[in-house]
Amino acid sequence: MTTPHSRWKTWLFRHETALLLVVVVEWLSFNAIGARFGTLDNNFDILRHTAEIGLLALAMTPIILTGGIDLSVGSLLGLCAILFGKLWRDAGLSPMAAGGITLVIGALAGGLNASLITLLRLPPLIVTLGTYSLFRGLAEAITRGADTFTNFPASFLVLGQERWLGLPTQAWLFLVVAAAMWLLVHRTTYGRSFRAIGFAPEGARHAGIPVQRRLAMVYVLAGIIAALAAIIYTARLGQAKADAGMGYELFAITAVVLGGTSIFGGVGTVHGTLLGVAAIAVLNNGLVHARQPREVAGMLTGALLLLALSGSVVPKLWAAWRARRRSSIPSPAPSRSP
Amino acid sequence: MRHFRELSVAGALVLVLIVLAIVAPGFYQAQPLLSLATREAPTLVVACGMALVIIGRQIDISVGSQFAVCSVTAGMLAAQNWPTALVTIAAILLGALLGAINGALVAGLRLPSIVVTLATMVTWREALRWQRQGAFVNLPDRLQWLGLSQTAGQWMLVGVALVVLVAIALAMRHVAAGRFVYAVGTDAEAARLAGIRPQRVTFNTFALLGALTGLAAMMNVAQSPQVDPKSGTGLELKAIAAVVVGGVAISGGRGSLWGVFVGLLLLACVAPALTHLRIEAYWEKAIQGAIILLAVVADGVRSRKARR
Repeated sequence: MTTPHSRWKTWLFRHETALLLVVVVEWLSFNAIGARFGTLDNNFDILRHTAEIGLLALAMTPIILTGGIDLSVGSLLGLCAILFGKLWRDAGLSPMAAGGITLVIGALAGGLNASLITLLRLPPLIVTLGTYSLFRGLAEAITRGADTFTNFPASFLVLGQERWLGLPTQAWLFLVVAAAMWLLVHRTTYGRSFRAIGFAPEGARHAGIPVQRRLAMVYVLAGIIAALAAIIYTARLGQAKADAGMGYELFAITAVVLGGTSIFGGVGTVHGTLLGVAAIAVLNNGLVHARQPREVAGMLTGALLLLALSGSVVPKLWAAWRARRRSSIPSPAPSRSP
Repeated sequence: MRHFRELSVAGALVLVLIVLAIVAPGFYQAQPLLSLATREAPTLVVACGMALVIIGRQIDISVGSQFAVCSVTAGMLAAQNWPTALVTIAAILLGALLGAINGALVAGLRLPSIVVTLATMVTWREALRWQRQGAFVNLPDRLQWLGLSQTAGQWMLVGVALVVLVAIALAMRHVAAGRFVYAVGTDAEAARLAGIRPQRVTFNTFALLGALTGLAAMMNVAQSPQVDPKSGTGLELKAIAAVVVGGVAISGGRGSLWGVFVGLLLLACVAPALTHLRIEAYWEKAIQGAIILLAVVADGVRSRKARR
């Protein structure tokens, strides 16, 4: 029953379409308020500032698809930024070599999350809450809360501060990772299994999917991407400090949930996440141009997350309530395992 | 063994105390010990509430922000010459309101508590930063130590914390409402079929945690001449660490308040032990994370063995 007409109609009522409209309206209204907001330079600026949070959100998407969560990505970004600086300045490595080792460290840190979650079957939320504190604490301990790394060579800063083929350099990296993630999640059987696991872990196991191995893979991937984001962050600011990426996990989770991925797992898309990232990025940048203090952006992001979450469950609860009234048979309470 | 988990934590505590007695006998002086206990008293009150929420199979990482909001509000009310008793009640009610917001979102809309409280954590913290711009609140003198002498005030605060602990510990064992929390944390659907309203129990635990956080904020305000708007940062991790180390299962339904008390004592002694062992304070956050991970790993290994 997929006539062209009905296909068009389903596209119109899809979550992503609504979100696209939100982003466009947001952009147009900020353009009307702020004088310099709509310029090409500023839009490149938005792209530049979004790359790190965008990368974390891309890493978070498969994790939430499998029904998990990773609170440690922001802290891992901070730890990787510090270790990258340490490797470059104190170990005397070239930025290239230091970057390579940082990616390996990111993979190992993700592997720590992965092994605790899959080998010991611990809930992701408490494991990553522990590593959230551990990674940030290590970053603070290594720098003794004060050490910062600066004076990186210009050849490295190109990655964060210059343009390449018209776009900000890091935007290319972001686009490549986004495309790869989209292909992985939407065009491979491997990536499709993430949604199967989130939808019904036991069912996925019976369907022959190696659930624990896939889960481990998702967290390791998040570690690598967080390390990449750390390198880009350092290149953009030209310095690495222990508080790098603090609170970024909230932005990443918000972008994913805003993008239509169910926090309970099983439903969601990568392009939705990208639109969620765009909505948050435009909001943040627009508020700065509308001369609002930085705190307002953080406050609104928190409120936005709550709104998006409530918006996704209220229709379901409403339908359940009406069904219960009609049938008057007590329905089971939706119990949730953490 | 029935209380194996609590006893092993108590064993670790005794070990730390013995090590301290050997390397740093100075630790055992009455006045510094009382100061340490006073500093940890608000954390104990929050940890008691956190234990309830975690036994009910939820989590709340917004308590640090709630604590800051309540502290600043209490300070501002006291600065406007409200009597101390009224300020205390206001702080507790405000905390209960903030907790009830979390509870309504988690129980009413059935949203995962970790994400809800992550959002409220940041929202309250940023709203406070926006309002105060980092400015401290100066307190009137009469609020410090609740108008008592310092030693009497310290005993008073420690006493309040212990009363809260004992009251909740007894209620969780002997009062139906306390048993309901265990029932909901073990299996919400079974609890519902047994006639308990799981969503209402969940809501109540969040509101109670908020009220206790408000009380803890007041206990903290009474200790210093100023209120730092950044106070309470990392409090959620301290409370969760005490609860998890004390043997409360993160998957709900299991654990006791006595275990939480011993867990908190252990964590409270770790920091002074580190200073005496010449490990810098910058390591505190990393060690906190490592302790949480160790505790859940220990539980994970034990439950794997039990399953075989």
